[in-house]
Amino acid sequence: MKDLTQVEPGEQKAPVMAPGHNYGTITDKISSIVLKKPVSKGWILGFLVCFVILQWMLYGITLLFFKGVGVWGVNIPIGWGFAIVNFVWWIGIGHAGTLISAILLLLRQSWRNSINRFAEAMTLFAVACAGMFPIFHLGRPWVFYWLFPYPNTMGYWPNFRSPLVWDVFAVSTYGTISLVFWYVGMIPDFATLREITDKKWIKYVYGMLALGWRNSARHWSRYETAYLLLAGLATPLVLSVHTVVSFDFAIGIVPGWHTTIFPPYFVAGAIYSGFAMVLVLAIPIRKFYHLEDFITARHIENSAMVMLATGWIVAYGYAFEAFMNWYGGDVYEGFVRFNRLHGPYAFWYLALLTCNLLIPQVLWFRRVRLNNFWLFMISMDILIGMWLERFVIVVVSLHRDFLNSSFGMYYPTQIDWAIFIGTLGFFTACMFLFMRLLPSISIFELRTLLPEAEAVVEAAQRTYAAGYRKIDAYSPFPIEELWEAIGFHKNGVAPVCLLGGLLGGTGAYLLQWWINTISYPVNIGGRPFHSWPAFIIVTFEMTILFGGLSAVFGMLVMNGLPQPYHPLFNVERFALATRDRFFIAIFASDAKYDLIETREFLQTLHPHSISEVPT
Amino acid sequence: MQIFHRATNTIAKASIYGALLLVGFILWACVQFQRSPYVTYAHVARPQPVPFSHEHHVGAIGIDCRYCHTSVENSNFAGIPPTKTCMNCHSEIWLGAGMLQPVRDSYATGKSLVWNRVDDLPDFVYFDHSIHINKGVGCNTCHGPVDRMPLMYNEGSLQMEWCLDCHRSPAKNLRPRDQVFNMRYEQPSTQKPLLYAGKVYTDQMALGADLVKQYHLRTVADITSCSTCHR
Repeated sequence: MKDLTQVEPGEQKAPVMAPGHNYGTITDKISSIVLKKPVSKGWILGFLVCFVILQWMLYGITLLFFKGVGVWGVNIPIGWGFAIVNFVWWIGIGHAGTLISAILLLLRQSWRNSINRFAEAMTLFAVACAGMFPIFHLGRPWVFYWLFPYPNTMGYWPNFRSPLVWDVFAVSTYGTISLVFWYVGMIPDFATLREITDKKWIKYVYGMLALGWRNSARHWSRYETAYLLLAGLATPLVLSVHTVVSFDFAIGIVPGWHTTIFPPYFVAGAIYSGFAMVLVLAIPIRKFYHLEDFITARHIENSAMVMLATGWIVAYGYAFEAFMNWYGGDVYEGFVRFNRLHGPYAFWYLALLTCNLLIPQVLWFRRVRLNNFWLFMISMDILIGMWLERFVIVVVSLHRDFLNSSFGMYYPTQIDWAIFIGTLGFFTACMFLFMRLLPSISIFELRTLLPEAEAVVEAAQRTYAAGYRKIDAYSPFPIEELWEAIGFHKNGVAPVCLLGGLLGGTGAYLLQWWINTISYPVNIGGRPFHSWPAFIIVTFEMTILFGGLSAVFGMLVMNGLPQPYHPLFNVERFALATRDRFFIAIFASDAKYDLIETREFLQTLHPHSISEVPT
Repeated sequence: MQIFHRATNTIAKASIYGALLLVGFILWACVQFQRSPYVTYAHVARPQPVPFSHEHHVGAIGIDCRYCHTSVENSNFAGIPPTKTCMNCHSEIWLGAGMLQPVRDSYATGKSLVWNRVDDLPDFVYFDHSIHINKGVGCNTCHGPVDRMPLMYNEGSLQMEWCLDCHRSPAKNLRPRDQVFNMRYEQPSTQKPLLYAGKVYTDQMALGADLVKQYHLRTVADITSCSTCHR
């Protein structure tokens, strides 16, 4: 296997992990941030600042709830102001996390293993920030649950032919799957933290969260399948989310919105800003927590190159939009192009082009990609640029309506700013808490980057060959050969996932069909009641949601988790299974089991120690 | 290291399935609560300035609905009678009853009695009494057995699904126009057949279907369209 702590001859890149690490040092280094290091003054100060900013948001929200959306600067013709700009911006930022954790996993990019955890956390907090805005935008946020199909007293259902309803399903599925993906990824690391900490109540907390994970090869087998399936489901999901967000605009007939290029252009923009946020977080985090060994120059450089690539897709989007405005020959579309360049918001359009197109071109230079300070500044610049892009799309398209009599300008109020900046505080405060309370780098996935232990696989094979069948093996990270060696070939997670996905998809389609043709056929714009193209989105989202949840819960149930108590935990050395040691267990229920003979057999495997496990 | 007791395994699993059940129960409870009289005030009598009894005036004495609710046949509003309507009788009978003091005061001062509205639809609903009366919807179909209500209460939940229940299938409630104000009207059945327009009906749906045609009811698609009620 390729040693990832080294670079190949001629390769002009830093290694994925600094050399000189073993399973133990990785474990200690990452877990010490959570368990050993004292809370630094810098952390407290940073958290307090974010917390204070967060209060500003709460103030804004409170005022909004009591007084209504009149506290914002939105007014006809600009009905979508900061709320929608911020929604799209935040959800876009979230996309990088899923891209790193899911798409790069499928593409076997091993460098993702050290940044996926906090990128997923970033996704989750960004989706939380994003999810708030459409709800505030409802005007009556407390009845947000009307967006979901439930047997309500109105006898009425959400309009499944509206992109705004698709959005509800896309974003809530995305939030749920991201949360599950994040949590499942952390289960083995919780087990590690459970064994390392000395404090009893902390042991309890991580012990509960770990669900009794004990690194069994059978468990790993199901776990790996479930994780891979989740990644496979999350990949089309993440592409669908920003596609659906772009439909909110593209399905409308507003010039500047009604564009078929929006879906790919939005997805690229999302990943562009998402990687900018990854770098804005990764650069200071690796510095303050001395994680340069795991988040190496390679990660930073790769992220910068992803930004450069997606930046050009976005540039293509801008160019194509402008071209179609001219080529389409529509007078209103033509005006969009004129108005962006010469209208009252021209400065912001040019600022957007500068931030998103011009400045990031310095990333062509390797020296810039490797300079943390400048890369940080460019990432900030891209975040600002992408925010401006959404501002231009939302506000500049709306402020010139078809008739001169309904032209207007948008002036954000203090409350608009309070809520927007407040979400930045919320996001960073969550990140601060995350860094302190949870393993910010996936420990077990880092272990897989090191050369694998062959000894335990061989020992397992010999145990199986000796005729023992009721056996299990334990390793600090998944080893495919290990579960094959103990004769565990079919884990049954995939069929459960397939079944769940099919049920979810069929159920969602039947529900929409029943609602629109039988329960309450409402004539909307003369479209057919059974308009299947409109039902695709929700059907797709529910397939992903139910498939993903079935894979995870199927994995947990088949593994018999949660099982916080297990006889194996009585063996003191077994704690090392979550760190750097490997174990083979032969159960007393095995037909060939005999206390003395089995012990003798185990001696032939040359173990460090042999323990008899009391039941 | 063994942190948890053996029983934790059972507790952990039970708490997860228990939490799922609990969430399910809470959702079910919310659905039920929204339809309960606590929210809808169905069958809850409202206090009034004068404890006016429909049971007495309609059931016992037999006054027709339209004697007081004069505009019900040709207006969206059924009409609340002026104090004068009360005084038509009460200037002759029950002169000394203390219960009626607010009525006499109102008559003397010219200040209206302020009744507490019972069947109160939201302001975003456009409702017209006359169309319902003229298409053969009986008073008590929506208002319930008013002739048996000592104090007025609303019979239905007044929620949209309650309106839709009839709008989706009007035939099941229609009756001949001359029976609209009949508080003790019974739908035709094999035991009590109804003779209407020279035809004997033993089944409500058959009668309803004929009335839908005869009274020119709009289609179900029309009367369940959004803008029929939300204008």
